[in-house]
Amino acid sequence: MRLLKVFRLATRDYAHEWQMSGCFVLALAAVLGPMLVLFGLKFGVVGGMLDQLIEDPANREIRPVGSGRYTAAWLTKLRQRPDVAFVVPRTRSIAATLQLKSDRASRIINAEMIPSDNKDPLLETVRGRANGLKRIVLSRGAAEKLKVEPGDVIDGSLARRFRGRHERVHLPLEVVGIAPARAFSRDGAFVDVLLLEALEDFRDGHAVPALGWSGTEPPAQRTYPGFRLYAHSIYDVPGLERLFREAGIDVRTRSADIELVMKMDRNLSAIYWAIAIIGLIGFSLSLGASLWANVDRKRKELSVLRLVGFRTGDIIWFPMVQAFYTAILGWTLAVVLYRLAAWAINDMLGDQLADGQAVCVLLPEHYLWSLAVTTAAAVLAAALAGMRSARIEPSEGLREI
Amino acid sequence: MDRKSQGISFRLNVPSLQIAQGEKIALIGESGCGKSTLLDILAFISQPSQIGAFRFRPVNTGEPIDVGHFWARRKLNRLGELRKRHIGYVMQTGGLLPYLTVRDNMSLSRNVLGLRDAGVVEQLARELGIARHLDKLPETLSTGERQRVAIGRALAHEPSIVIADEPTASVDPFAAEKIMSLFIGLAEERNITVIVASHAWRHIKRLGLRRLAHHTRRSKDGRTTETVVNG
Repeated sequence: MRLLKVFRLATRDYAHEWQMSGCFVLALAAVLGPMLVLFGLKFGVVGGMLDQLIEDPANREIRPVGSGRYTAAWLTKLRQRPDVAFVVPRTRSIAATLQLKSDRASRIINAEMIPSDNKDPLLETVRGRANGLKRIVLSRGAAEKLKVEPGDVIDGSLARRFRGRHERVHLPLEVVGIAPARAFSRDGAFVDVLLLEALEDFRDGHAVPALGWSGTEPPAQRTYPGFRLYAHSIYDVPGLERLFREAGIDVRTRSADIELVMKMDRNLSAIYWAIAIIGLIGFSLSLGASLWANVDRKRKELSVLRLVGFRTGDIIWFPMVQAFYTAILGWTLAVVLYRLAAWAINDMLGDQLADGQAVCVLLPEHYLWSLAVTTAAAVLAAALAGMRSARIEPSEGLREI
Repeated sequence: MDRKSQGISFRLNVPSLQIAQGEKIALIGESGCGKSTLLDILAFISQPSQIGAFRFRPVNTGEPIDVGHFWARRKLNRLGELRKRHIGYVMQTGGLLPYLTVRDNMSLSRNVLGLRDAGVVEQLARELGIARHLDKLPETLSTGERQRVAIGRALAHEPSIVIADEPTASVDPFAAEKIMSLFIGLAEERNITVIVASHAWRHIKRLGLRRLAHHTRRSKDGRTTETVVNG
């Protein structure tokens, strides 16, 4: 009950001295506003870079350099690892091409065949799946040159010299999808590993019974010279890279780029926190000092409260309630300033950004955190001032000195 | 009560003082003679350095309260309770809270005690001639009007004692006389004990107050001043 009265009195005083209160609020917003902008920039820039790294599957790719001899069993074991999201074997690249022709275009193109399967990270946006020997996902470049769309059937052909004779075989291929431009920039197509094996077998002079191509008996044990592998996340790349190196397999990754961004995140975070902590200490000190001085200024009024019967414990709340108001109002003003600054910055750099990307971003929890920290710092500073006000004796303010 | 300031020590000695319920007491003397110190002791605000006996008997209860005992035990909140229930204090310069209206300033002492208003504040304001100012802030009032508000606040919670320290020092003599007689009149009606400190006896002589005898001695080297109050 008495506490409620102190609350009400402190509120009345705060409103009555609105100019003084306004100065406190401005002082707080002047420290907190730039800090929010700074954090927004840090979070936006680094966050954007991390998003790009995480979103672009190329950053999760691990490519073996040169050619090896990998068995299907070894690759299956690799596929079962939790840090591996996708792995398919590659056949010899010289054998992995196909001549493609459509009825709509007069050109014949030489396309590279890329092994794929259902979980291909490069084809996440593509509906159709290139399963089996007759289905194919074209690269954007190849599809444009052939003037085809999903659902069209094109002709694939390849030739070999076998027992002194020139042989050419054709196979109809249904276009089940078109890969996004960034998945593969040259003329190419994503196909089932079975088809690649068939092309390699045919070129080697072996028979492919499934397609009705004749030749010698294929070897019992097949080895692959390479594979396409994607780690589960960019954070799994360094570990897998180490694993391959230890197994004597030289691999190429983008771990250096990932490391760079992560290092930048760490460094920027360190700088930001240094500034934020200095700012917070400075703010707490300045708020504490002004509240302290305020208690001096209000000595007489506070001693009047003591005189009419408020206890020392009640008086402590007086500066604390006022600091609470300062924190809430100052934070609100700082957020308004931040929103304006963020809008201006994002607008200014908007043309250089992808859609939905921003340079200056804060998440809702960041707002809440800043509010909590500000209120805590302000109320703590006020508590110190409050202890001082509690020591005011009722006689102190009775007479003007 | 001993006090030191700038190398000079002051001593206020009260061998014996008795004030009856409803009495009107005047403490007259130059500034610096210890009037305010005595008032603060009587209002349970300042702690005497030595206490022989200090008893206070609230109205309507037979048992006297040993104030000296409370001081010795540092029961400041108990003293605060006594003060807020039984004593009204009029300060030299009003001591009104600038952020409260006249009405709220006057209600403050009632409010802290949790008393209902019941028209007491309005009635007092009418008698003090400040009814039309009730909803204004103190800063819009003249000094004399502010002192009237301060007197109103000291009386509003119906205390048994009102202590006033130079309540009219900042007001011109003509207004001072008027305010003082108003104040004493209000206290008289309510049978309230009044203890007033003033440096001008002639303003209050006619109001029928008992003047406390005191004399101030200064030592030969000028380093100690002792005031003795008896009554």
